Amino acid sequence: MPIALEELEKLIGTSFPGGRYTIEPYRHWLMTDAVGDTPTSSGAANPMEIYHGAMGGLGITLDELFAMVGSSAADGPMFGEAEIEQVLPLRVGDTYDVRGGITGIVRKEGKSGVFDILTFKLELVNEAGEIAGLSTNSFVFPRRD
Amino acid sequence: MGVAVGDELPPLVIESVSVEAMKTVAALLHDPNPIHFDLNTLQRLGMGDRPVNQGPNNMAYIVAMLSSFAGGPEKVRKLRVRFLGNVLGGDRVTARGVVTDVREADGATVADVDVWLERSIEDVVLKGAATITVG
Repeated sequence: MPIALEELEKLIGTSFPGGRYTIEPYRHWLMTDAVGDTPTSSGAANPMEIYHGAMGGLGITLDELFAMVGSSAADGPMFGEAEIEQVLPLRVGDTYDVRGGITGIVRKEGKSGVFDILTFKLELVNEAGEIAGLSTNSFVFPRRD
Repeated sequence: MGVAVGDELPPLVIESVSVEAMKTVAALLHDPNPIHFDLNTLQRLGMGDRPVNQGPNNMAYIVAMLSSFAGGPEKVRKLRVRFLGNVLGGDRVTARGVVTDVREADGATVADVDVWLERSIEDVVLKGAATITVG
């Protein structure tokens, strides 16, 4: 039996431990090079760093996130939707505080069976205390038993 | 920059999605999902013999197209996407976009853009909407 929906719904509003994320120049170079973009190690950062920063500063691993909803990587969780918003330009080399938590969980049923959608939102806050980036993601968890 | 509703952004073509890049990204993101790098796991799961590209990589192709068109990564204000299908190692994919609105926001001219990533016209694997600064 999949984890009870009532148990999952208790997670809404749960904050992640959070952390800090630095857009390391070498990581920025490798990330941009890996996706066919112009690799750079200085200057304006690729806005995908909002996503990378959010996940890197979550304060828990993906495995731990999956476990919170009674799942694991072996169950085949999938990315549902993702949103990034660059409120202020991100810079390579800058460090951001990351904070946020779970904002929603819904259970649905489709052709392939029951699945749960987990939504969580994180903020990247610069050293001046301003929100520089917002990342909202949803993962889809198939419930096969 | 003269931008009008209906303008098509220059597409970004990835001729062959790199399996090695998937390994790099898995390591950098601490992504434990073996479907991105472990052929034995893929075969055991009945998923063939080509690794599945990370969703954020597919999103990043769209970002690269938007950044190139707008004139820099700082010009990409917002991007929201829905993942519709997998991209596999070796696939040829194309990122595309069409301007749907041009308006003023926060003292700048911005364009709203419908975006998508396709393996072919009939095979869209990601779609969404973006807002970029154009003036």
